Order: sequence, then structure tokens, then C-alpha cells
Amino acid sequence: MSTERYHAAVFGATSAIAIETMRALAAERPAHFLLMGRNHDRLETIANDLRQRGAECDVATVDLLNPDEDWKQRLDGTRWDLFYIAHGSLPDQAETLADRHAIGREIDINFISPARIMSVCASILEDQQQGTLAVIGSVAGDRGRQSNYLYGSTKAALATFTGGMRHQFAGTPTVKVVLLKPGMTDTPMAADLPKGPLFSSAEKVGHLAWRAIRKGKAVAYLPSWWWVIMNIIRHLPRLIFHKTSL
Amino acid sequence: MNTTRQMHSWGRIRPVTADVASPAWPDQISLHETNNLAFGLGRSYGDSCLLDGGHMIETRFLDRILSFDTTTGLLRAEGGISLDAILRFAVPKGWFLPTTPGTRQVTLGGAIANDVHGKNHHQAGCFGNHVPCFELLRSDGSRHTCPEGSELHAATIGGLGLTGLITWAELQLVPIHSALLDVELVRFNGLDEFLELSKDSAESWEHTVAWIDCLASGRSLGRGIYIRGNWSKFGDLEPHKTGGASIPLDFPDFALNRFSIHAFNTAYYHRFLGKTNELRQHYSPFFHPLDSVQGWSRIYGKRGFYQYQCVTPFEAGPEPMNEMLQRIAKSGQGSFLAVLKTFGDVPSPGMLSFPSPGITLALDFANQGASTLKLFDELDAVVRQAQGRFYPAKDARMSRADFERSFPRLDAFRPHVDPGFTSDFWNRMNS
Repeated sequence: MSTERYHAAVFGATSAIAIETMRALAAERPAHFLLMGRNHDRLETIANDLRQRGAECDVATVDLLNPDEDWKQRLDGTRWDLFYIAHGSLPDQAETLADRHAIGREIDINFISPARIMSVCASILEDQQQGTLAVIGSVAGDRGRQSNYLYGSTKAALATFTGGMRHQFAGTPTVKVVLLKPGMTDTPMAADLPKGPLFSSAEKVGHLAWRAIRKGKAVAYLPSWWWVIMNIIRHLPRLIFHKTSL
Repeated sequence: MNTTRQMHSWGRIRPVTADVASPAWPDQISLHETNNLAFGLGRSYGDSCLLDGGHMIETRFLDRILSFDTTTGLLRAEGGISLDAILRFAVPKGWFLPTTPGTRQVTLGGAIANDVHGKNHHQAGCFGNHVPCFELLRSDGSRHTCPEGSELHAATIGGLGLTGLITWAELQLVPIHSALLDVELVRFNGLDEFLELSKDSAESWEHTVAWIDCLASGRSLGRGIYIRGNWSKFGDLEPHKTGGASIPLDFPDFALNRFSIHAFNTAYYHRFLGKTNELRQHYSPFFHPLDSVQGWSRIYGKRGFYQYQCVTPFEAGPEPMNEMLQRIAKSGQGSFLAVLKTFGDVPSPGMLSFPSPGITLALDFANQGASTLKLFDELDAVVRQAQGRFYPAKDARMSRADFERSFPRLDAFRPHVDPGFTSDFWNRMNS
């Protein structure tokens, strides 16, 4: 186990999966987190919890949706081991599609803003020639399904973007670009969905996310059996697929 | 944030439909004027954690550690943190829960509200004996810090969530040198032997419990295995693993029947050859054997199951227990999860705390409708006769009179009930 402090900048640090990832990390090695997000009190609440678990924490209250917000300077002076991009939104699809402003907002939260942040982080990793960039995608991005194709398509765009960036760093094996694909996870964001047997706890998903980040995996389904399920769904002939209510 | 959802308790007998809020942050907790009830991880067996048509507040996302003193072991955390999470945090640092129920999958708030007990009750008392302070949010919006010795503290411990919502609580952890226990298993035949073992073990063994074969009758009546353990000096501070197998679906109704259970019990009783067996065990299989199978209650199928737990005072002797075991064996109902333990005389601060000095029996019964309820009526009569009491956290059908008889401090408790809080159990006890 490494005793050197592991430095991680977390965008959207109030995400339940991000919190559980940080807890798993902090339980395993000395860590320093820069927690970024909109709500100062909530960031402080998490920071305090992580401090009890032995981590050092800084908090930066920033609006990650605003392209003019200058959070880059907060990253200066540290050699980062991890940039972790975790913010996202799971909208009510019918409501969102009926509102022309809401569609753009969802795409902004789930794709445009993460892409913008990833570009900045990539340039830092280019300079450092080392480190990991991890982003939370979703199994929903694997095939457009009637129940959540708005959310799914933003995550699909994010997956393609991440894949391209990984390609860009292919010649620098010390830089890893990790796409995490959680399946259905029992988080506050999904609190109102009926819980079936396919749900995993945020804690388990966070634990697996940290493992994937540590190993620098390219794409990680969380838990891994979602790879099997999504492969089946991806390859279902359209005739059959259209008979399902997935 | 709020959705209308179906909610189950652990016994899965009568699901309810409620307006459910799932706050993730302290600033998101909002109570209605009436009909509130906090809901942790739903491990209460009957209806004490349910409120049909009411406002249920799921607390499990409120799971932050607020402070931990590494020299004294005093933990302060939000009420929705699970005992599972506390152990994974504390064990590597050399600390353990002061007492633990048979599952880690309960919240800190729930453990207080039901004043849960564990295998060390005869030495450590109840969970509520180790909670120096907590904060209560009431339906009028007021927040009360409740230190040990205050009336609200005593009312809330074992208070079934009726005094308000526990936002945070302190818990005094205890030091351990290793995550392992030195365990001894001793076969016994009959209640007299059980009581003798309990007496002999009370001082030298911190944790004691017995498994009893509730289907054995005749000469084998009351046979079982006495389990006693002490924290080991050997081994490291490895916490339990998360995950494990899970039972995601209801088993068909025929899976558990008197033959499959009888076969299990007979095999379990004869699992070692001699009279005693010694082993060194991790705390997880010792304290929380069922947590390795998530959702195990679904083996009872769609109709769900009841748990029956009572305590009869020592003065009544082994007779009431013998009579209950006879009736259970005769009925052919009952399961492999039959537990017998003696409670000690450490008083809990809780006004409605269940444990009292005596013998406690807890067992599961598949829900077979009228025949199961009829058996319970027979058992009730025995407990009543012995001046015993019943455990609300496990109950889905006790009578109001039995509830009132069980808790002599009920009248002192009533004024502390938050008028904006109630539960299906409480409504049943007051109708």
C-alpha cells in the first residue's frame, strides 16, 4: 500500500457514487480531495465526513455549468493523481422532452459541462504526463431505449468523447482515461424508482469504481455483470427489442 | 424528492403505500404537520416501521460520520448510517459496537428507536445504554439535544420512532484487539441444561446465545446448541466484506415446510460429534450469520413471515418456555431460526425498552394464515401467565392489552410522543 498522499479533484462531489468512491479510496490510502460543486454546505458536510476517515479536504464552491467560471486556478500547485467527473442528472424524460429549455439543460449537465471540464483536465495531464481522468457514464448510453433515451444519449456522447480522449493518450500509458458505467444504483437520484433485483448499493458501486480507477481500466461496468446484460440488450434484433418495454 | 411507493417491513406481510421522502442532506429533511414516520433499513419485522398513507422519511442516505474521537471511541454520526458502515469504519481502528443485533443492516437511529439488544446483553445491557446523546427533530420544526438522563432521551430509546426523527446520535464504541472471537459450542438437551450453561457462562463469556431445535419433541424437546464467545487476542483488525449472495425473488411457498426444516434442524444439531466444539471465528459469521445472504426473508415466499419474540422472567423458571416449545413442536410450525438467550439485569434508560431479566425466545414462522395466528394466541397465553412481555420491533399482531401489560412505563412515555408522528403499530395499539 502506498503511503504517499493521493490527490484527487472531484467535480460534482455531492454525487452519491462520487462520495462512496472517495470513502473507499480514503479507507485504503492517505488521500487529499478537492471537492467541487455548487452547494457549499453540502460540500462541507462531505468534507467533514471524509476528514473523519483520515482524508484531507478542500472545498471549492463553483458552478460547473458556467463556462466562464474559473475553477482551473484552484488546481494549480498540486500534482493530481485523479480528476474525477461525477456530476449528472437523471431527468423525468417525458417532462423534459416537453420543455424546450429543459432538454438543453440536461444535455449541458450530462455532456457539455463534463466535456468542457475533461478538456481542461486533459491539458493538465498532458503536462504532468501522468494521472487518471475518470468520468461517470451509464449503462443507459449503450442503446437508446424508450424509457430513458434522453439521459442515455447524453451518456453515449460522453462515452464517445471519453473514448476519443483515451485514444489521444494512447501513446502515454501513464495517463489513464477511465469510463465508469454504473447500472441501476440505489442513490438519492434514483430514490423514486421502484427497486428491483438489478439495483446495487451506492456503496458497492463506489467501491468498484475506486477499484477500476486504481487499475486504470478503460471501461468498467459497475458491477461487471452489467456488461453481460447490456451486451444482450445491444444485440437484441430490433424486432424483438421493440416488443420490450425496456 | 417525494414519491408514492409501496413499503415493506422485514416480514413482508402487509406492504403499505406511503408518500416517501428520501432526503440526502440535512437541509432536505422536512416534516409534515401530521402522520410522519422515519424509516431506516426496514428490518423491523411487523408494522412498527410502517405508516400506511402517511409521510415516511427514508433516512438511509443521511449516513455521514460527524466526529470520531480515536482515544475515547466516541462516535457521532447521522441517524441513517448503518451499523454495517460503522463497523467498516471502526474495526480497522480497533473499535467495535458496544452491542450488536443479529444484523448489521439497521440504522443508528433505528437501533436506538428499538433499543436493540445483542449476545452480550447479560453484561452490556441494550444499545440505548451506550448512547450518551442525540438530536431529535420534532414535527413543529424544533430541534432537541437529548443527553443521557433527560426525559426525551429515555422516551426515544425504544420509543419506536414516535418521539421525532433522530438526526444524529453519539455512540460509545468499545475497543477490540482483533476482529476474531474465540467461540465454544456446547450441545444441550432441555431447558434446565440451557439455564445451567447460561449461569455458568454469564461471567466468563461476554457473548452468549443458543440455537434451539423448535421442531424436536418428546425426549429431544428443548435440544439445542449453546454458543458462547469472547473477543480473541489473536488475529488482525480486518472488517467484514461487503456483498455476498442475495435472494432477489420470493421463494415458492412449498420451499419451506416441516420436512425441510426438520431435516435442517436435525443436521444442524448433529453438526459436530462431541459435546463441545471450539473454534475461532470472525465477528461477521458469529454476530451476523444471516447478513451473508441479502434479502434472506424472501425464502418465506410471497406471504411473508412472522417473528415471535417474548421474554419470561427468571422467577417463572423454565416451565413457560417448555410449554411454548411443546406447543410449537406439536403445531409443526416454526423454523430453523429459533433463538434462546438469557437477558441480564442491566437496566436500559428506555421507557419502552423490551429486554428485562429472564429468558427470551425468538423465532420465525412462515405466514400460514389462521393456523399461525392461532398458535400465537396459545403462546401469548403462556407468556401472559408467566408475566412476560412482547417485543414491538418483531410484532405484527400483539393485542393492545398485551402491549400495555408489557410496558409498565407506557404512561410516562405517552406525553413525549410527537403529535405529528405515528406508525401503523402505534395506531393499532391506540385503536
